Formats: sequence, C-alpha cells, structure tokens
Amino acid sequence: MTRKFNVLVVDDEPPLRSVLRTSLSACGFAVEEAGSAEKALEIIPQRAFDIVLLDINMPGMGGLEACRRLRALTPHLGIVMVTVRDAESDIVLALDAGADDYITKPFRFGELVARLRAVLRRADSGDVPAALHAGNLEIDFERRLLRRAGKAVHLTPTEFDLLALLMKSRGMPLTHAKLLSSIWGPEYREELEYLRSYVRALRKKIEDDPSRPKYILTEPWLGYRFHNPSEDEP
Amino acid sequence: MTQSEAASPETRKRRDRSWRFLLRALPGIMVAGLVTFICYGLGLSVPVTGFCYLIVVVLQSLTGDFRSSAVVAVLCAACLDYFFIPPLFSFRVSDSSDTLALIAFLVTGLVVTRLVSQTREAADSEELQRKEMTRLYELALQLLALEPGTAVGPSLLIPFRSQFDLRAVCLFDAETAGLYVEGNSRDGIAEKTRDAYLGRRNFEDPGSGLAVRMVQAGGRTTGAIGFEGLRDCRLTAGPLAALATIMLEHSLAFQRASHAAAMAETEMFRGVVLDALAHEFKTPLTTILAAAGGLHEAGPLRPEQRQLAEAVESEASLLEQLTTRLLRLARLDRAEVRPQMELIDVADILKALVDQYSRRWPGRRLSLNGITGATTLGDPELLRFGLGQLLDNACKYSRPDSDVRVSIESPGELIAVDVWNDGSPIPSNERARIFDRFYRGAEAQKQASGSGLGLYVARKIALAHGGNLDLDGPAGANGGTAFRFTIPLSNSEFDHDP
Repeated sequence: MTRKFNVLVVDDEPPLRSVLRTSLSACGFAVEEAGSAEKALEIIPQRAFDIVLLDINMPGMGGLEACRRLRALTPHLGIVMVTVRDAESDIVLALDAGADDYITKPFRFGELVARLRAVLRRADSGDVPAALHAGNLEIDFERRLLRRAGKAVHLTPTEFDLLALLMKSRGMPLTHAKLLSSIWGPEYREELEYLRSYVRALRKKIEDDPSRPKYILTEPWLGYRFHNPSEDEP
Repeated sequence: MTQSEAASPETRKRRDRSWRFLLRALPGIMVAGLVTFICYGLGLSVPVTGFCYLIVVVLQSLTGDFRSSAVVAVLCAACLDYFFIPPLFSFRVSDSSDTLALIAFLVTGLVVTRLVSQTREAADSEELQRKEMTRLYELALQLLALEPGTAVGPSLLIPFRSQFDLRAVCLFDAETAGLYVEGNSRDGIAEKTRDAYLGRRNFEDPGSGLAVRMVQAGGRTTGAIGFEGLRDCRLTAGPLAALATIMLEHSLAFQRASHAAAMAETEMFRGVVLDALAHEFKTPLTTILAAAGGLHEAGPLRPEQRQLAEAVESEASLLEQLTTRLLRLARLDRAEVRPQMELIDVADILKALVDQYSRRWPGRRLSLNGITGATTLGDPELLRFGLGQLLDNACKYSRPDSDVRVSIESPGELIAVDVWNDGSPIPSNERARIFDRFYRGAEAQKQASGSGLGLYVARKIALAHGGNLDLDGPAGANGGTAFRFTIPLSNSEFDHDP
C-alpha cells in the first residue's frame, strides 16, 4: 500500500471496535473509532477519512440514516456497511442510501480487508476512466465498444448501458432497483424479470461459461456486482 | 313467571290425585244448591230450572276440568229430578216425558262439559308450549351471554337447570369421557346418561320427567345430555339437546381458535428469539474472527502460535456457519420460499457441496456420480441450502466409515439428485411423517441432534422450484436410505429485444 488510509470504525460494540482497530492497524490502516452514528457524523468533518466501516444496527440514529447524511456531506467518502446475514432488505436500503459495499457479520477478517481495499482502489482510481480492462474484456465507454479477447462483441444499446454501469462500479454491488431505474427509468424499478433476462444475455456474450459467471456476479436477493479478475491480487 | 311456574306443578299433582277434583267441583256444587233454593222458592217450571242448571254446568266446566264438571252435571240432574220432577222429593220419575227431559239434560250437560274442557286443555297445552318456548329463548340468550371461553363442564349446565327449574342436568362428553352433573338427582341421571350414550339411544321416562338425548356434532355423536324433572319430556328434551349441541360446538370452536392464537403467539415469540439470537450471537463471533485474523497481521507468529490462531479462526468460522444455517433454516421455515431464478448448473452446486461435506465429515466416504452439466433455472442459494440439508442428514445419520453416495441424472424434463446412505431404513410408520415440520423419528433422535426442520424446508425449496423431494429414490432399492430431490429442467431460451 502506497499511503496510509484513514478508516473510521463505527460500531456500538466496544470489544469489536477495539479488535478491529488493532487488526486493521496491523494491516497498515490508520484507525479511528466512533461508538454511535451521531458521534461519527461529528468526527468525520474534522478529519479526512478515506473510508467508513458503518454498522447498520446501532441505537440512536442507526447506520442507514448516517449513511444517507454522510453521502450528502462527503460524496467521495468510501462507505462499507456492516450488517447481519438474512437481512437482505437492510442491505438493499443501505446500497440505495449510497453505501459502496456491505459485509455481513460474522465475516472473516481477510474478507473485510479485501472489501475495504476494493472500495479504496475504486475511489482512488478517479471517477470515470475512458476505457477499462477486466480479464479478457476491454470496454471503451466513449466509443461504446466492447472487445472480448481482442474481438469486438456486438451488444444492443441497452446491454451496453447495463454493462457500462456495472463496470464503472466494478467491485461494488448494485441493487436491482438501482440498475433498473438507471437504465430503464424509475418506473421500471420493480421489473426484475426484465433485468434478469438482460443479465442472462450479457453473460452469454461475455462469460466463458454463462452458468459459472466470473464477471457479472449475482448478489443473492440484492442485485449484481461486476468483478474484475485483474484486481484479485492487491 | 314464578307464579305460573308454581301453579303448573299443582296441575300435574291434581291430575294424579283423584280426590282433588272434588275440591274443584265445590263452587259448582254450591252454586247448584243456590239455584235449587231460588228456583224452588220461586216455583219455576222444570224447563226453566233445567236451563238454569245448564248455566251452572257450563260455568263449572269453564273453570274446572272434565271430572269436576261431570260431578256438577250429575248433581244438577239429581237435584232437578228430586226437587222439580214429580213425584217431588223422590228420585223416581213418573212421567216418561220427564225421563226423556232428564236424560236430555244429562247428555247435554256432559257433552257441553266435555267440549268446554277439551277446548280448555288445548288452550292449556298451547300455553305450556308458549311458556316452554319462552324459556328456551331465554336459555339461549343466557347461553349466548356466557363467556366464550367457558369450559365444557358444570358451568355450562347451570343455565339449563335454572331456566327450566330442573332437578338435575347431566352431560357426558365422550371425547374426554367426562361426566358432569349439575343439581341433585333422585333417579340416577348420571348412570342413565352414560348408559344411553353407550347404547347410542335416546332415553325417556315421563314418570320422573327424565330424558337423555345424544349430542351430535359434525355428523357424529360426541356425547349425551340428560335432563331430570322435565314437565314434558317429548316437547322440551329435543330443543334442549339441540341448544346444548350448539353450545358445545361453540365452546369447542372457541377453544380451537384460542389454541390457534396461542400457537401464533408462540410462533411470534420464536421469531423474536431468533432475531435476538442472530444479533447477540453474531457480534461476538465477528469479534473473535477479527481478532484471530488480526493476530496473523499483527506480526510474525511462531508456527505453534500460527496454528493456534488458525484453530480459533476455523472453529469460529464453523460456529458461524452453524449459526447461519440454523437461522436460515428457521427463517425459511417461517417464510414463504420465493426463489430468485437464474441460470445455474446443479451439477456444479452439487460438486461444491460434496467437496464441502467431505471436508466437514472426514469419517464418511462421499462420492458424486452422474452427468456433469445440469443447467437449469433455479435459485442457487436455496438449492445449495436444500441439497446441503440432504447431505448433512446423510452424513449425520450414517455409521462412521460408511459410504454416502450422491448422484445426479436428467431423466426427461427433470434434474434428479439422489442422496443415499446405508443408514437403517426408516420405519414404515414414520415414512409419511418425516417431511412434517418438527417431526423427528425415534431412531433419528437417538443418533444425532436436529431441529426437525431440515427435510421440511428442503421439500419446501424443491416445491418452490416446481419439483419435489421424496423418500425412496431408485438408489434405495438395495437397502439404505435414499432421498430424491427433483427440479424441472428448463431449456427455455429467454427472449429479449435485439
């Protein structure tokens, strides 16, 4: 890692906070703690944080509302929500509230570090590149071209928009509602089957084995995530 | 009401005891004496006097019964003969026309008496019926006003006894074999009620006013109810038994409803406990996992330290998986399963599961056979969970060092996964129930712990995919236990605009 990233751990459980502080510090992060969402909103403007690890379930304001306010306050701050499994609706709300990613309790520490780094890398690499490589895919956003292993792939305009949106947010989960309303418009938010058939079509065109996708990954119950195999090794 | 209730038993007694009618005839006798005195004093003729006596007979029959009126009629005829028909002061009759007049008087008197008293009796009986109807109506009101939760038992019988002024009421509930008696019986109502139920026959003893009727609900006899001290067995016993039946059905329906409400409450409680558990359990687990992960990062560890840190991490992960699985199971059990269909390869899912369970159960020889590609539409998470449940069971309920065979094939329009182990066959009396919620076979309880939800949820998942989960896959033909999980093979190419 080239520079030390500032992480704010927001959780109401002191033991978890202190363990995360020690462990993340050992991984080279500069760690600050906040015991509540209110406290986090107070600390954040005072220091330049790169990323916030925000628990959803906290007494008081809670993680969701904090996420919404943080997003409005500091658009470039990376936000990773911490939630418990089987609370898909919470995760959808969190992502729609502007979180970059989520991780479910209990998580392995290695997984947490990988998620944090993915969000930081994306934030670090600037807003929208003109072109992007991912595995054997090469996309040119301006000329609306996709090459797979050097060969041009024909995509319909909607398929291209969908893939471009997923690739621009690579590594981050995008909810069904977000994808649908961005590509087709807000009135299509509920048309899940629509989205699924397009994802199937896209997978047929870009995946080596559409039933075992390595680019467009399904986030069960939530949406999809574009995975860039080239970014697997930090 | 109380006055007429007091008077009515009198009527009954009067009918029974013969001397009472003479008392009732007394006013008639006295008036007949008065008429004799006046007519004799005025020296009235036989026809006029006869009509006067007839008035007395009619008046008597209007107030009295047939017997007392008949007594008055005969007395009047005697007086007419003695005091007015020559020769006077003798019962003899000299003139044959007088004999005819006397007979005519007697016949007219008796016929009038008979007609009037018949009309009176009809009116009395109508009045009795009307009163019984009123009582039934009031009893129905009282029963309706009872607390809906009133248990089947004596409290239900009190209104019957008080409203109809009965000596005793008895209810035999066949379901619980409960025998409830309210009041003081003189004629052994309890035995008669039970015996009537055992013989499935209504019983009636008008003498003691005792009647027993069967209580029927939903087309079958569920008990018997007996009444002692009824004024009119035939008139009242039927409607009373019908009321009792309605009341019992009402009470049972309420009990069922409150049982269902209690179940729903338990279910809600379970949900709350699970949610709390989910949070309370997962945070410490996260802390342990983060701490173990942090140990690796914190600095170079000696090999034995690394080994210990890894043990903490892997065991905590195992605990995490178990917790998550149990919570997932509980959640799927409670909620409707809604698969999120996508193109998946069931063979792939199965391969990953077999690898995973081989690691988790080093003491079982897991094998996977069959086709390698089985692509269809399905929910990968749910299928992983449902099939994992079958593998879990197969490992759990088999002997150490035994085979667990998994195979996948695609007969026709299906994808079928067979999971076989050489566990003891499931007893025939348990076969139908193993997919029931919370059901755990006797043998299964001895072998391993479980929630009784696994197979239920696995079948729920198969059904939600349009498939099924059955016991006795073809793999079980040569002994052992075999489950077959099927889902439809979808080869439908999706359409989308070009």
